[in-house]
Amino acid sequence: MQDAVAEAAKLLGASRMPVIAGLGTDVAGARAAISLAQKLRGAIDHMHSAALLRDLDVMREGGMMITTPNEARLRADLLLLVGPGLNEAWADLDTRLLARRDDRAPRRIVWLCPGHAGDAARAQAAMSIIGDSPADLPTMLAELRARCAGRPVTAQDAQALNALAIELRQARFGVAVWSADALDQLTLDMLCGLVRDLNASTRFSGLPLAPADNAAGVQQVSGWMTGFPLRTGFCRGYAEHDPWRFDAVRLVESGEADCAVWISGYRATSPSWSRDVPLILLAPAPSNPPRVAEVTFAVGRPGIEHDSVAYLPTTGTLAVLNARASADVISVAAAIERIAAALPTEPPC
Amino acid sequence: MLTRLAGGRVIDPANNRDAVGDIYLRDGRIVAAPQGGEADETYDVSGMIVMAGAIDIHSHIAGSNENMGRLLLPEQRYADAPAHPGHSPQPRGAWSSDETGCLYAAMGFTTVVEPAVLPHHALQTHLELADIPIIDKATLTVLGNDDFLLDLLRRRESTEALREYVAWALTTSRGLGIKVINAGGAEAFKQNVRSFSLDDEVPHYGVSSRAIVKALQRAVQDLALPHPLHVHCNNLGLAGNVETAIATIAAAEGLPLHLAHLQFYSYGKEGKRSFSSAAARLAEAVNAAKSVTVDVGQVMFGPTVTISCDVLRQFNARAHARPRKWVIFDGDANGAGIVPYEYRSKDFYNAVQWAAGLELFLLTNDPWRVFFTTDHPNGAPFTSYPDILALLMSRELRAEWIAMMPKEAIEVTTLPAITREYTLPEVATMTRAAPARLFGLKDRGHLGIGALADVAVYAPDRDSAKMFRAAALVFKNGELVVRDGAVLRKTIGRALTASPPGERAIERRMRDYYEGRYGLSPDFLAVPPGAIGQPDPFELVPCRS
Repeated sequence: MQDAVAEAAKLLGASRMPVIAGLGTDVAGARAAISLAQKLRGAIDHMHSAALLRDLDVMREGGMMITTPNEARLRADLLLLVGPGLNEAWADLDTRLLARRDDRAPRRIVWLCPGHAGDAARAQAAMSIIGDSPADLPTMLAELRARCAGRPVTAQDAQALNALAIELRQARFGVAVWSADALDQLTLDMLCGLVRDLNASTRFSGLPLAPADNAAGVQQVSGWMTGFPLRTGFCRGYAEHDPWRFDAVRLVESGEADCAVWISGYRATSPSWSRDVPLILLAPAPSNPPRVAEVTFAVGRPGIEHDSVAYLPTTGTLAVLNARASADVISVAAAIERIAAALPTEPPC
Repeated sequence: MLTRLAGGRVIDPANNRDAVGDIYLRDGRIVAAPQGGEADETYDVSGMIVMAGAIDIHSHIAGSNENMGRLLLPEQRYADAPAHPGHSPQPRGAWSSDETGCLYAAMGFTTVVEPAVLPHHALQTHLELADIPIIDKATLTVLGNDDFLLDLLRRRESTEALREYVAWALTTSRGLGIKVINAGGAEAFKQNVRSFSLDDEVPHYGVSSRAIVKALQRAVQDLALPHPLHVHCNNLGLAGNVETAIATIAAAEGLPLHLAHLQFYSYGKEGKRSFSSAAARLAEAVNAAKSVTVDVGQVMFGPTVTISCDVLRQFNARAHARPRKWVIFDGDANGAGIVPYEYRSKDFYNAVQWAAGLELFLLTNDPWRVFFTTDHPNGAPFTSYPDILALLMSRELRAEWIAMMPKEAIEVTTLPAITREYTLPEVATMTRAAPARLFGLKDRGHLGIGALADVAVYAPDRDSAKMFRAAALVFKNGELVVRDGAVLRKTIGRALTASPPGERAIERRMRDYYEGRYGLSPDFLAVPPGAIGQPDPFELVPCRS
């Protein structure tokens, strides 16, 4: 351990542009990683930044109406599930959101273009499925939005869409559910626009499902620590956010980054870049990293082997997750703090 | 170590002191002058002004809604600060937690209250607060749109049940006080209600907004919490809403009640545009209602972002977003709306708002009951405080500003006729002594023996704004943290909390409620000290005796 810390500190201390990526870690790990990047004048990126930024770009370009998993579960009289990947994004989707509850008023569920997810869903009586292939989704949402705005459409599914448009406008509190992992930005923009439009006369909101590996939690930490979401760099001595410039894969492939820290505390994953770069890996043991890392730290899994604070998909909030099977393993936060303490003291130029 | 601040003008209204003299600090406290012997270090502050560290009672500095504001407006940080090589641009807004603490400390603020914590999001707020250096913090827990409370009122349950619930919510979320935001309005909006006033009923629950406010006021009073109920009234921002504010003041019925950012409720319907300042009338009502305290929520010009748990109001304001983007969040109880906005001095409505805030400051006659806020960032960012203080202290400066405003706006206010100028002791009362009293913080806001050694020293300047923008020296817990407006070291602050003593029989009931309604244990609400990431993150403030 001592040797690994010293070696990691040596690599990072000698680096001119380190990137701290992966960031699959809890709040404490994110705090430590971002502090380290600030100290080293490096950059931070999360392995799910692409999906995070898709939601974020729609929000920060046009705005968004959103609600909580609890409100979607308790209040929605119409759930509009959009596209594939929902069960993958939220393992408890069926039990927490879709399962029928006898003590509640009847509720409609419509799933647009679920792809393979629809195979199981089709068996459920209360569920309507419109469209199939996710490739049809952009057009379908555009047509649906047009119908809701009272404009004529000549869609293949015109009748189904007409009926759905009426249902959406008659919902008292509808909720659209999606995973940005499975949608492109224009589709998302159309969906969020539809939700905004519906609020002219009724109530409707959105429930974006967060990517895995505490992506939403790490984004929150980045927000309050740097003022910016992920893909932020500190190269000039202050925080700058640039989704292109601070994309970890681009930084490594282009040769701009000369050292990388890959944090994957929830499960062993590897970075998707192909160029060789000195790598410091923090992942749970036993892991068989397919890539040779200069230094490897076997870290505990947050909320399993050590207590943690992270984003809870069930509530949409940061919450404490106590260890289920406490083990004598180091956390990402502790490992990074030890590396930071071992860094050479003079500031990088 | 004994530290002496020698020869400054000590302005300490809580102890009726305004005289040249010395202040001694030891072990984080103000101590008496030693009997013989020398101080270990002496700061010559002759010619300077010495006050206790300032306390901001209402500033939205942390939590998931503020963070959403950061994520919504990445362009706001470096808005007009082009980066030059070797120069760090100074962020103009959307500050990080770190910047927030440093900017506050540079102005001599040492305690700040974050006034809107949704109980389900309390942990995130406290994580953010812990990352704000130097200053101490406190939070207000938002109730009044939560199903449990509304259901208690619908069933006409005992005041004891209500009291226990309030104590439980406050303790669980680690708040210092209770706030209600457009009581019932967020729940009504979820049921597609688009306007909601004091005597409107929340559909389904059949409980009026007034009944919610009264019930919470009573519970806070009975629990002897350090801070009275903090109220964000209905109808924020609407022409003619002075009637709502006056009705809410009357609803205090002689018991303590704090009305937040009153400027946003000081509008009449006079004039060609049916929008005018009714601040003079409102100030009279405040002057007459001795149990009521208010803060102003002053507007200043420039880009900002409005962040409010009054989701109904924010939804209705979305068309005015500048730039045109906004987030409306339907939360588990109160939600939030984040709507960017730019106040413009040439805009009729914005100029009226600016003038109305100053009228409230200047026409209310008791600096112990009127508090200095911009409702950061809603009226203006907290960095504008020095400019506002300067306006309060100089009628000449006000006249210069008024001359630049649209004439028709100024005509629907009484501002040009007001000659009052705030004195430094009045400023010290409003920003130090009175906030400490309002929150039951006995060892803050003053410089008496035993007080916390939070001290701000200012170098007088003809330009009061310059004086307040960069404190000459700031001590936090006796440690020098700022010199000439520059942060020297980032100490760690704590969050002040209150928790009414005694067993809470309601714990079991809350567990059953959360399991029944949400299918979840209420454990997800917990804010354990060990999860915060700082040693000893909380400080308990005793309830009133």
